[in-house]
Amino acid sequence: MPRRLAVPAAIVIAAAIGIWYFTRVSDDTAEVRRRLDALSAAVNASTTDGRGPAARANEFGSFFTDDVEIDLGTGTSPIRGRATLISMAERLQPRTAAFKLKFEDVSVVVNPEGTQADVHLTAEFIRRDLVSGGESLDAREFTLVVQRSSHGWQIRRVTAVDTLK
Amino acid sequence: MVLAVICFVTFRWVLVPIRTEGASMLPTYQTDRLNLVNRLAYVGGGPQRRDVVAIQMAGPHVLYVKRVIGLPGERVSVVDGIVNINGAALDEPYVKHRRPWQVDEVTLGTNEYFVIGDNRGMAAGDHDFGRVDASRILGRVVF
Repeated sequence: MPRRLAVPAAIVIAAAIGIWYFTRVSDDTAEVRRRLDALSAAVNASTTDGRGPAARANEFGSFFTDDVEIDLGTGTSPIRGRATLISMAERLQPRTAAFKLKFEDVSVVVNPEGTQADVHLTAEFIRRDLVSGGESLDAREFTLVVQRSSHGWQIRRVTAVDTLK
Repeated sequence: MVLAVICFVTFRWVLVPIRTEGASMLPTYQTDRLNLVNRLAYVGGGPQRRDVVAIQMAGPHVLYVKRVIGLPGERVSVVDGIVNINGAALDEPYVKHRRPWQVDEVTLGTNEYFVIGDNRGMAAGDHDFGRVDASRILGRVVF
């Protein structure tokens, strides 16, 4: 290759690599965000859609890895394993049906290999009073480790963050 | 056009509107009201005692609104509902109802503030309060 073409060629190659890397990372980040949106949609889905609690709990469980660990902070025992989580979700559905879940201020950082993402977010729990119709809001900060698997992106760890210590 | 830009900049980065939710700042701040946060309030220095501040969680869209009662380096405790700073009772005219909360003494770090809501008539277990790093304080609630 003539020397005068070497520099432009190197720039073009570097730009192509950069665009490929940025696009890939952006795609992964967007995919993780979509999964989180789908998780909140699954939690908020109507309980009058004809599906039983077991089916809904199983769908909820599909967002998590088999070995998921959930640490909700001081005063609660960690939840370990998807089977435990599904069982809890099934039992608690009559109570959780009164809540709406919304994720705010979601930041996603995917590792360079594209296998794992660190997520930081605020979860809003909006509770509707069935008698008055009024809503009350509670919010909690969480970090998540989300892992790419053969089933797509799944949550491997959830840790509550104490904003106020 | 210029006015629109000024309004956009002001309400986006300087005086940020927020909607308060919950009972923890009663009676000073009622639930479901609009308030403003001055994000430039602490450019020249940190929060002062009794300032009401907005504290960010994972980001700027969901915030705690709390009152600063302890400053960096101070010792803070609550005995029978009375806040003590370095062993002396703090005068808090904004607190209208008190339950006998008990909070063991903590010594604040060099970059930490102790924040609490004005509504001490609720159970301590239902009320979020405690130490917060200065970096989480978004600004002062001014209205």
